[in-house]
Amino acid sequence: MNDAHFEPKILAFCCRHCAYAAADLAGGMRIQYPPNVRIVEVPCSGRVEVTEILHAFERGVDGVMVAG
Amino acid sequence: MIVAEQKPLAEIMELLGDARKVLVVGCGTCVTVCFAGGEKEVGILASALRMMSKLEGHPMEVDEATVQRQCEWEYIDPLEERLGEYDVVLSLACGIGVQAMNERFPDTLTLPGLNTTFLGLPEEQGVWEERCQACGDCILGLTAGICPIARCSKQLLNGPCGGSQNGVCEVDPDIPCAWQLIWERAVKLGRVDQLLEIQPPKDWSKSRDGGPRKIVREDLRLVEAE
Repeated sequence: MNDAHFEPKILAFCCRHCAYAAADLAGGMRIQYPPNVRIVEVPCSGRVEVTEILHAFERGVDGVMVAG
Repeated sequence: MIVAEQKPLAEIMELLGDARKVLVVGCGTCVTVCFAGGEKEVGILASALRMMSKLEGHPMEVDEATVQRQCEWEYIDPLEERLGEYDVVLSLACGIGVQAMNERFPDTLTLPGLNTTFLGLPEEQGVWEERCQACGDCILGLTAGICPIARCSKQLLNGPCGGSQNGVCEVDPDIPCAWQLIWERAVKLGRVDQLLEIQPPKDWSKSRDGGPRKIVREDLRLVEAE
């Protein structure tokens, strides 16, 4: 993949009660989001620790989003 | 508690040198509560080391372990069976923990990942202050419960000095004058008379001036049967 077509891999930690529900609703409404965003449902965005974000980078993601 | 802070990552990388397999060992006591070397900090540092070594082109295998107290044999002994597989151990304990590891496991080099800084307390969330220098001859009973050895920049026994201005120390306006604090508290407690007595020079032989210290409690020692 060259730089002109670089599409970052994004990991999104989404709170079950809001951001994940919003993504679910988007799906229900047939609204698409890019496939390079991977969602991990968490019980609360406060659950996300620094170590989880670092592990994501270690495993090759380009960006991490914490949504809640 | 013992208060410490983590060494800069670049210094830790330099200490680790060409080690390819490293065990980062945290301590679950003092350095956990001052957020310097507990399980969480071990995880963050191990991750940072893995990423940094990968970026530098020499990936390092970094494993993690945290013991309840790195300064007691009972807690570190279970690590022994794992140590053979590592080039070095990086300890995130205070200097006592690092030395305990080196003494107990002489075949494995344990390096320090922290700078042990002082004996103190968390004044507020994220702020730690020095309170004790372990001088071996506590005088808090003479100084209204405030230690001039740890908190006066000159360690005066008969303060304050002329550098005390508006309640702060001439060394740094962020340092409250310990003797001002002592005086104010003594006034409040009605114990000013005690402060008017001149204190003789301190016996520093009970501190570090007497060399490394040791306490032996015969009543607690385990005596092996003859």
